[in-house]
Amino acid sequence: MSQDSPKRWIAVVGNPNAGKSTLFNALTGLRQRVGNYPGVTVEKHTGTAFTLHGEAVELIDLPGMYSMAARSPDEEIAVKVLRGESAGLPKPDAVLCVVDASNLERNLFLVTQVMELGLPVLVALNMVDVAEARGIRLHPDQLSEKLGVSFIPTQAHRGKGLVELRAALGQRLLKPGPRQWTMPPTLAVAVGQIASAWRQSEASELRAEGKALELLAGSNVGPDGARKLATAWRERFRKEAYDWSASVVHARYEYVRKMLGEAGIRSGKLGGTWTDWIDAVVLHPVAGWAVLVGMMLTLFVSIFSIAAYPMGWIDAAFVWIGGVMQGALSEGLFRDLLIDGILAGVGGVVIFLPQILILFFFLGLLEDSGYLARAAFLLDRVMHRVGLSGKSFIPLLSSYACAIPGIMATRTVEDPKDRLTTILVAPLMSCSARIPVYTTLLAAAVPVALVPVWGKAAAMLGLYVLGTGTAFILAWLFRKKLLGGGSPPLILELPPYRMPSFQTVSLRMWERAILFLRRAGTVILALSIVLWFLSSFPNTSADPTEKLAGSFAGQMGHGLEPILRPLGFDWRIGIGLVASLAAREVFVSTMSIVYHVGGEEEGLVTAMRSATWPDGALIYTPLTCLALLVFYVYALQCLSTVAVAKRETGGWKWPIFMLLYMTGLAYLAAWLVQVVGRALGFS
Amino acid sequence: METSKNRTEGDSLDLTQVVSGDEVRVRHLNCAPTTCQRLREMGFCENALVTKIRGGADLVCWVCGTRVALSARLAKQILVEHVDGKS
Repeated sequence: MSQDSPKRWIAVVGNPNAGKSTLFNALTGLRQRVGNYPGVTVEKHTGTAFTLHGEAVELIDLPGMYSMAARSPDEEIAVKVLRGESAGLPKPDAVLCVVDASNLERNLFLVTQVMELGLPVLVALNMVDVAEARGIRLHPDQLSEKLGVSFIPTQAHRGKGLVELRAALGQRLLKPGPRQWTMPPTLAVAVGQIASAWRQSEASELRAEGKALELLAGSNVGPDGARKLATAWRERFRKEAYDWSASVVHARYEYVRKMLGEAGIRSGKLGGTWTDWIDAVVLHPVAGWAVLVGMMLTLFVSIFSIAAYPMGWIDAAFVWIGGVMQGALSEGLFRDLLIDGILAGVGGVVIFLPQILILFFFLGLLEDSGYLARAAFLLDRVMHRVGLSGKSFIPLLSSYACAIPGIMATRTVEDPKDRLTTILVAPLMSCSARIPVYTTLLAAAVPVALVPVWGKAAAMLGLYVLGTGTAFILAWLFRKKLLGGGSPPLILELPPYRMPSFQTVSLRMWERAILFLRRAGTVILALSIVLWFLSSFPNTSADPTEKLAGSFAGQMGHGLEPILRPLGFDWRIGIGLVASLAAREVFVSTMSIVYHVGGEEEGLVTAMRSATWPDGALIYTPLTCLALLVFYVYALQCLSTVAVAKRETGGWKWPIFMLLYMTGLAYLAAWLVQVVGRALGFS
Repeated sequence: METSKNRTEGDSLDLTQVVSGDEVRVRHLNCAPTTCQRLREMGFCENALVTKIRGGADLVCWVCGTRVALSARLAKQILVEHVDGKS
C-alpha cells in the first residue's frame, strides 16, 4: 500500500465473548474493557493498528453479535457499521472476523453471513489453546481452502499469532467467492429474482444474494424494484406459512457442519472440565445462592477490614499536610481556603479510594472469571418474577460499580421495555460513589469501636440489599403496571471459566483510581472551593458556627430546613444534600468543609456526632443517620447518570421521570424512617 | 430425581422433560418467531444435537460446543427427540 493512499478501515466482528476486544487491544495497543461474559463491548471503538510493513489501518471494534439480524441495540450498532450506515464512520474496507476456535460451528455461522457483505474477509481463529485443550484438532489451511478466506490462528490474550495477523492485514485480503451453502429451492427463486433487480446497481453475485436476503428480512435500503419484489415474496411466504428465515439458518448450519466434518474438525466434548465442576456448585439451587451471598459478604468485610489500613495511611498523610500548611502559612483567607476548603473537601473524599478499589477488584474477578453470567442465571427466577429476564441482572450488577456503564450495558437487553425498565432502576443499585457516604454515616450512627468488622459489613450489605430489593420491586411496578407486556425468556451463553487475568483486573482498578482522583481533582476540588466561598462569606461573625449560619450556604440551608426538618435533617445537612446533587460523594467533602475538619475521616465523624440542634439535642442520632442513609440509597444525586439516561432513552421524558421518582422515594422513605422509628421509641 | 416423562414414540417431548446428561435432537421450535430465530442462530436449530446439563427452574444445555442457559418456559417450547429415535 502506498503511503499516500487513504487509510483502510477494518471492522472487527464476531460472536460475543470470542475475544474481539482482546485482539483489538493487542493490535492497537489500546485498553478497551474486556471480560469473560457476553456483552462487555456495547459501543464501537476505533484504534490504529500497523501491518508488518508499517501501513496504518483503522480497526473498528464492534459489539458481539450472533447474526446479522440485529435483535438488541448493541447488535444494531455492529450491523450498521458493517453496512456502512453508521454516522461518523466510513463503510469498512474489509472485515476481520474473530472466531472462537473452541466453538467453530456457531462462530462460522456468522462468518457465512458476513461474507455476503461482499467485503474482503480475514478470519482470526482465536483461542486455539482453549480448543486444543478440549481435544479439538484445528486445520486452518483446510478451513481457508474450503471457505475461500484466510484463517490465522491466534491467542489474543497471550499475543500469539499477532505477527501473522499483521502480515495478513498488510496483504491484499481475499473477497469471498460464490455462496457455498445450499439455498432451499423455493427461496433460491425468490433470492435470484430480488438479487437480479438489485444487481443493476452492483455486480458481485454473493453480495447481491446477501442484499436480497437483507431486503427479504425487511431492510428498506435498496432500489424500489428490488424492495417491491422482496415485499411481494415475503407476503407470499407468509401466506404459504413458509418460514424462509428458519430454512436459511438451517441451511447455513448444515453447510458449516458438513464443512467442518470434511476438514476433520470435531466439536469439543462436554464434561470433565473445571467449568463443569465449578458449575456443579455455583449453579446448584442451594449451594449456588450460598456462594453468591458468601462472595458478597467477603466483599463487604474486605471493604472494611483490608481497606482500613490504606485509609489510615491516607488519613495520616492529610493530617500531616494540614499540619505543615498550618505551620507554614500565616493566618488568613488563603490558609482557610487551602485547609478548610481544598484539603477538607478533596481529602475527605480521597480517603475512600481504597474501599472503592476493593469493590472494583472483586467486580473485576467476577467479570473476568466468567461468574457474572452464572449470577445472571441464578437470579433469572427472581428477575422473572419482577417482569425482567436474568440478562438484565448483568447491567444491574455493573451498576454496583457505577450506574453509567450499567445503563450502557442495557444495550445487550433485546426487549425495549425490559431495557427501559432496567435503565430506570439501575441507579438504585448502590454505586461506588455511595461508599464514602455510607461509611461516614454508619460511623456517625454508632461509635466505631463498638461495632466489629462483620457488623459494619452486615450494615453495608443491608444498604445494598435495600437498594437492590427496591430496584426489583419498582422494576415489577414499571414493567407490569406502567409499560405492560410479559417478561422475555432467558437465553444466555455461559462462557467457560478462566483464571482472572491479573493485568485485566489491575488495569480496571488503575483506570478507576485515575477516574476517581481526577474527579477529586476537578469536580470535587471546584465544588469545594465554591462551597468554601459560599460558607465563608458574607463574614458576619468570628464564631465559626454563627459565621456558617450567616453565610450564603447557611442562608440556603436555613431556607431548606422547613422541608428537611420532618426527615430529622438540619440546615447543615441541607447544604450537603444540595451540594451533592451533582455527585453523591460531594456530601462528605461538603460536610468536612461545613464542620471545618480538614481531610480527616475521624474528625468529620466526631464533629457530626457532637453536632446539636439549638435546643442541645443531638442531630446525628442513629435514627437520623439511618434516615439519611436511606435517603442516599434512593436519591438520584448524580448528574452524569441523568445525562447518560437521556442519551440511552433518546429524550428527557424518562430521565426526568427517574429524577422525580427517585427524589420523591428518597424523601418519603427517609420521612417514614423517622416516623416509624419515633413511634417505636427510638430517637 | 428428574425423570424423562412421556418417552413413548410419537409423543412430543420438550427440553424440560429430558433427563440431565441426555443428548437429544431438536425436532421443532414452538415459540415466538423472533425468539425461535435467536434460538436457531445460537445453535438450537432443527436437527441440532443438544445435551441437557442441568434442569430445574432454568436449564443449562450444551449446544454447538457452548453452554447456553434457558428459562424453563422457553425450554418447554423446544420439542426434541432422543438421538436413538425415541421422542
